[in-house]
Amino acid sequence: MSLIEIKNLKYRYPGAERLSLNDITMNIEKGQFIGIVGENGAGKSTLSQAFLGLIPQFYKGAYGGSVTIDGLSAKTTPVGVLCRKVGLVFQNPFNQLSGAKDTVYDEVGYGLQNLGIPAEEIHKRVESVLRRFGIWEYRKRNPFDLSGGQLQRVAIASVLAMNPEILILDEPTSQLDPAGSEEVFQAVDELTATGITIVMIEHKLEKLAEYCDKIALMHQGEVVAFDTPNMIFSRKDISELGVNVPAYTAFALKYGLRNQDGTYPATRRDLLKIIKADNADIRSLLKSCRNDLPDAQRNNPVKAIVGSETFSLSDLHFSYIEGAEIFKGINIGFDRRPTAIIGQNGAGKTTLVRIMKGLLKPGSGSVKLAGEDISKKTVAELASRVGYVFQNPDDQIFKYNVLDEVMFGPLNIGMSHEEAESHAHEALQTVGLEELCRKNPYDLELYDRKMVAIASVLAMDTDVIILDEPTIAQDYKGREKIKEIIRNESGKGKLVIAILHDMDFVADSFERVIAMAHGEILLDGTPHEVFRNREVLEKAALAPPHIVGLMEELEHEID
Amino acid sequence: MKSISLYTDNGSWIVRLHPFSKLFYLIAAILIPLISGHLWMFAVTVLASISFLMSSHMLRKAVPLIAFSFTIILTIFIIQGIFFKDNTSVLLTLGPLSFYKEGLLYSSRIGLNILNMLLSFSILVLTTSPSELVEELEKKGFSPKFGYIINSVFQIVPEMMGTMHTISDAQRSRGMETEGKLVTRMKAFIPLISPVVMSALTSSRERAIALEVRGFGANVKKTYLYSHPYTKQDQMMKWGSLTSLAAVIVLRVLHVL
Repeated sequence: MSLIEIKNLKYRYPGAERLSLNDITMNIEKGQFIGIVGENGAGKSTLSQAFLGLIPQFYKGAYGGSVTIDGLSAKTTPVGVLCRKVGLVFQNPFNQLSGAKDTVYDEVGYGLQNLGIPAEEIHKRVESVLRRFGIWEYRKRNPFDLSGGQLQRVAIASVLAMNPEILILDEPTSQLDPAGSEEVFQAVDELTATGITIVMIEHKLEKLAEYCDKIALMHQGEVVAFDTPNMIFSRKDISELGVNVPAYTAFALKYGLRNQDGTYPATRRDLLKIIKADNADIRSLLKSCRNDLPDAQRNNPVKAIVGSETFSLSDLHFSYIEGAEIFKGINIGFDRRPTAIIGQNGAGKTTLVRIMKGLLKPGSGSVKLAGEDISKKTVAELASRVGYVFQNPDDQIFKYNVLDEVMFGPLNIGMSHEEAESHAHEALQTVGLEELCRKNPYDLELYDRKMVAIASVLAMDTDVIILDEPTIAQDYKGREKIKEIIRNESGKGKLVIAILHDMDFVADSFERVIAMAHGEILLDGTPHEVFRNREVLEKAALAPPHIVGLMEELEHEID
Repeated sequence: MKSISLYTDNGSWIVRLHPFSKLFYLIAAILIPLISGHLWMFAVTVLASISFLMSSHMLRKAVPLIAFSFTIILTIFIIQGIFFKDNTSVLLTLGPLSFYKEGLLYSSRIGLNILNMLLSFSILVLTTSPSELVEELEKKGFSPKFGYIINSVFQIVPEMMGTMHTISDAQRSRGMETEGKLVTRMKAFIPLISPVVMSALTSSRERAIALEVRGFGANVKKTYLYSHPYTKQDQMMKWGSLTSLAAVIVLRVLHVL
């Protein structure tokens, strides 16, 4: 008998017309690391909730078929019992907190207390899991004071401390910087050695391919295929199903590099193995590789007016707490090239753009927009010129239907009702949500709410658009959509600035990259200049785009 | 995060006391003067509370609380001193106003009572972590569900204040004026309410799931991370409070007091 047996599982949310899970049958063996991929709305999160019995016990709705966890039916076994066997980590770590404990240490111990585990055992487990995730130093901090990345590690630690046999992770790294997500993947991978079974939903396909034994490919509530990463990503119909392929597979596909079984490699390791085994001409591969490096600046530059200055920041100083300066004299100017700001969590990226938006006032130094000092202006006065999309869309949704939400900004900055409405419709069309304009934004999924937030800023037709982590929770299609928005807006002569952790996306969509670490600007240049600078990347704890990494390894091979 | 709890751990002896010892003191300090019926008894408990606060270096934190209560006490003195229903003997006259002895005595009783309660409560509130108090109560059979509600208030209210701040940032980012004159700021407050409540409701659904996932609904006896042994000081505080209370009751019954 398999550890997890799913038989003909069907589920429909209350009030919904379509089945969210449609006749799913699959078995998962003990100790396997399983990935789930699929476009947004394919039913991945719904399936993850069925493992723990939250569906149908918590969400109700129509349920058919069965999910059996180690012999227990997930339909009837209370969640309080199943949670000893299955741990679930949510996408948003803030909502995973119990809200009852005031230190990280106690938060991680909370679930164990509920299960009636003796105190000495709790202390032992909490310490070991906090150390494993590198958050031991935060043990006395209030969990609500941590950054998103730190908090996600607390969330995973608090579930792991309960020693589940099965760990379900629903996009656990979407809030993390590259170094942070690598840590999570490694920690999770180490867990498999202990015999724990892992099911992970993730959009970071390169990572998934590297660590997973098998991947379930979902589409419209069905599991279309359940196979090895190589088999899944070699499918011809994969992009039709709304899933991209890992960068390495795309590379292999392009140069016809196949495994012996005819599949394409999905990981860098496999790809390199083929290249070496084939005695492929590494030099010519490298050459063509350099030519089609994702580099928006070289491949397809937006006709931006280079040189026409928008923002100029000089000798900028800032501190949240007196005596602990974050910026010690930043000098930087912006023209109209699409610009990405990259760096580790806590490097000062969000602080910098919040100062430019006027939400934070600099300690000293000047912030000028088109030559005019903006430090004395209120945020509202600046609103018609600088648009800012928050990282968490829920922080910027206030209305009960999507159209009103998108019209909120335009009306505030003095557009007439008709004008605001036409701008709003146009913006909703741009993000692809026009047909949802009468819906309540609170009823939409996170990825759509993020798009509503983007539309609500686009509709204001500002000269500068700042996007904080626009690709969070977006699948392949959503990311393509955002890429297009960035190009279009830059093409209109607007300055688009984005904070991003996704380096492939950065290389592909931006012409200028600013790398930050510890409140300083390490390097400011084209994607090519930044991503080929090992020293800077290391200092900023960033990994280059996958193909750049591959190239470097090939170059090393030649040397 | 700005905490709404007034507790700070300064390592003093009162902070280290078991929460229940402080509860016993609180009950005794409030009841003793009331039962004794003598005004001077208030002076005893007030002085005891002040000396406890002083010895634990907490008096300064209690001062704002006391200062606030003084405005109320002063009002009571003025109103009762002039208008108390049993006023007969004039004590002093200030221009057209006459203050009566009966009214002033009555108001000093109320005033001392308020002061006494505030001081003894501040010993508990300033020196006890709310979650520790709740945990100790749960150990004695208090419902974990109610315990969760109390604990979560201390976590979620500041969290909601943080959300409010973020939402206000988002609203001004989209052109709503929230800075400047008082009227502007007041106007800006109203549109904040519904998104704050909505986001609290949305996250409460997720939090309910989060609790389920963490075994909140598991039907087993909860265990506790910390044990707080009763020290000698705890015994002294507890029995000191209880015997004083008992003594006052006995003396009162025997009409000695």
